[in-house]
Amino acid sequence: MIDLFIAVFLLSGAAFMFLAALGILRLPDLPTRMHSSTKAGALGAMLIMVGVVIGFAEWLAFARGAAIVLFIMLTTPIAAHAIGRAGYMVGVPLWDGTIKDELRDNYDLQSHSLQSERREQEPGKDREEP
Amino acid sequence: MIGFFWNVVLALLWVALTGSFSGGNLVAGFVFSYFAVAVMQRHVPALRGYSQRVPRFIRFAVFFIKELFVANVRVAYDVITPVWYMKPGVIGYELEAKTDIEITLVANLISLTPGTLSLDVSDDRRVLYIHAMFMADEAELRESLHELERRILEVLR
Amino acid sequence: MNGFVFSLVYAMLALALFMATIRLCKGPSLPDRVVALELISSIVVGVIGVHAIDTGVLSLLDVAIVVALIAFLAAIGFARFIERGGPRSD
Repeated sequence: MIDLFIAVFLLSGAAFMFLAALGILRLPDLPTRMHSSTKAGALGAMLIMVGVVIGFAEWLAFARGAAIVLFIMLTTPIAAHAIGRAGYMVGVPLWDGTIKDELRDNYDLQSHSLQSERREQEPGKDREEP
Repeated sequence: MIGFFWNVVLALLWVALTGSFSGGNLVAGFVFSYFAVAVMQRHVPALRGYSQRVPRFIRFAVFFIKELFVANVRVAYDVITPVWYMKPGVIGYELEAKTDIEITLVANLISLTPGTLSLDVSDDRRVLYIHAMFMADEAELRESLHELERRILEVLR
Repeated sequence: MNGFVFSLVYAMLALALFMATIRLCKGPSLPDRVVALELISSIVVGVIGVHAIDTGVLSLLDVAIVVALIAFLAAIGFARFIERGGPRSD
């Protein structure tokens, strides 16, 4: 029974990691690749750690596994945000199928300042001005 | 936060007094001291609202893990099938969160769910720019983001 | 049964490592390569975890913690480095 649990967790974790790698190979541009790689990879690592903790069935292993899971949950989004932002700001081209980009107009590449005005959302304001 | 601190202190005290330092005993001490703090919070202003927060946090954790799996499967499905069903795009999302810690948590949890990736916050901290993978229905996407943010703020406030 | 599961998991992780390495070599821009590196590090954490449970050596988990930590620091460093460079086309 315990063996079955371990096998399920390890296999699903490995499957998520496999999908992450497949995604990073197949997807067309940087942000979509990050959707696939960072999150599916992190989820795979967390699932494998859960399997490891169940397999050892020890409090020491539980402490370490919990530390790893907590650490991955804390750091993955921060790293993804940093790389995604850096990639976007230096002008990595987006995929042709991208249907909308509200950030490009509001961002000043030289001064690195970012406005919050949103022309798409508040059409009334723009039209009032001549 | 101070309520959680007292909860941990009381749990450690329980472990010290009962004299057996094992994980199961620590969990038992935690449960007992949670009830002790819940009884005491009516008379100590600093602890007020602590006992309501824990069930909310558990509900949020369950909701978030469910969301994580659903979104992951959705992204995985699009990766496996040869045709792209995705419609990626960048949207500006009006934040309800005000303080730094709230904005950080909201942005990080949005980043953690696949399909949405927070890129940057505007300088006046009103708008969060998000790269989303499935934008076929933008209103629905905004609705789900709002749901997630509401639940996070419910835990924090 | 367990031996079979472990070999299957190892095979999947090895294949994942291989695909991430292809992206690392191919990646049209520097951020793509950094993303591939990050994925490789999290796959390595997974491999170490599976190896720990396979051999029964608990202290291998410490290695996994250190690898995850270093990967995070490297990612942040690369992001800073890319952003300093400013707009460009590579």
